[in-house]
Amino acid sequence: MAASMRALLRRAIRSSHRNVGIAAAGAAGPSGCCRPPTTCRCSSDVAGDRSTHFGYETVPESEKAKKVYKVFENVAQKYDTMNDAMSLGIHRLWKDMLLHAMHPQPGVQLLDVAGGTGDIAFRFLEYVRARRERRAALSTQTLLWRHVTDDYAAAGGEAGPPESRAVVCDINKEMLRVGKRKADGAGIGAGLSWVAGDAEELPFGDDQFDVYTIAFGIRNVTRIDQALQEALRVLKPGGRFMCLEFSKVTNPVLSRLYDEYSFKVIPVLGEVIAGDWKSYQYLVESIRKFPDQEEFHHLIEDAGFCCVKHQNFTGGVVALHSGFKLWGARRTSGLPALMPA
Amino acid sequence: MFRRVAVRLVTETGRVKNAALIQRLTDPSASARSFSEVKEAEQPPFDESLLELLVCPLSKKPLRYEAETNELVNEELGIAYPIIDGIPNMIPQDARLLQKDAGASTSPTLG
Repeated sequence: MAASMRALLRRAIRSSHRNVGIAAAGAAGPSGCCRPPTTCRCSSDVAGDRSTHFGYETVPESEKAKKVYKVFENVAQKYDTMNDAMSLGIHRLWKDMLLHAMHPQPGVQLLDVAGGTGDIAFRFLEYVRARRERRAALSTQTLLWRHVTDDYAAAGGEAGPPESRAVVCDINKEMLRVGKRKADGAGIGAGLSWVAGDAEELPFGDDQFDVYTIAFGIRNVTRIDQALQEALRVLKPGGRFMCLEFSKVTNPVLSRLYDEYSFKVIPVLGEVIAGDWKSYQYLVESIRKFPDQEEFHHLIEDAGFCCVKHQNFTGGVVALHSGFKLWGARRTSGLPALMPA
Repeated sequence: MFRRVAVRLVTETGRVKNAALIQRLTDPSASARSFSEVKEAEQPPFDESLLELLVCPLSKKPLRYEAETNELVNEELGIAYPIIDGIPNMIPQDARLLQKDAGASTSPTLG
């Protein structure tokens, strides 16, 4: 026991020396050089294979997906516990703020990509259910024809107002299994579906969903631009894209504290709680490699979203980006809407 | 008993009304009870309403649910996506190539 603790401490000291050096270099980078907005990866055509980053490592693009899959397969069981430990429970507030910004109404169809253990989907269903109850409570006081006809329609077995639905899509089957078990345990079944799918090749038709969310998942996708294209495709015109992701802290003092915490404390927590140092090392490194708020904002605009906005939470530790799809598929091809497809 | 439920699900696909759907969706307790009586190879019933949303990720065309093999089949490309524990696996690399002759299904997976 003592020997393993010593080994742990030695690793912590060794890696912190290495990482603080890299983090310092990394921090100096963006202010100096101008990175092209479309890539945060180096494309070296070694044997025709583009390479990208896996944390601070450089790996071929074909490898990244596999490595990321392994990471999340390992951490799936302890994922929620680790989230609470690492963020001191603040991740719950971030997700609540995402829901408040979304402000969904009953009947909204949500697609939660990289939804894994289902945090966003659960919150969505809870929010919509609370709104429905509130509306029902209000309508007993001021009875509107709309509510009367809805009630009659629902009672008569016809299609009443559309039910809200949340579809959780994740590439990792282990994370989905954990999420489904959570849902079954909490008795949440109505309107919740689970699908194993790739964010870069979504198994959904065009113009299907009102809201597309991806929380703390997009930095793990190999080709972010492709994921954004797919998001645009599956959203209905008027649909909203919302992305919650770790981002750059602007305040230098906070940034220094955040780096120290990330590289010294988080991997140790990962080892102690989940028994997996390397996965959490990857996690903090991948946060540093992800584009900052402005760059990601431009990426979303490049994909074709309109009214793109972003706001920081917790001093820039997390950023919420949002955009809207305004036009249907035909418009983006340049043909006027009247012409046959 | 599970087979009866699965067959009924498949035959009711064409004439499902919303009320019936909601009833089935909010009936996880029934499947949990029957799950214990069920053989080890059986899975929780697949949610038919997902079929309206799901398409093949490669061709973006609609899929057919095959109850016997518990798969989603794309006839055009001749591939089938497995459904495991009630969760459809729509990752292209995990899809299975279908043989040309009817019924036979012993091809290696893609990728």
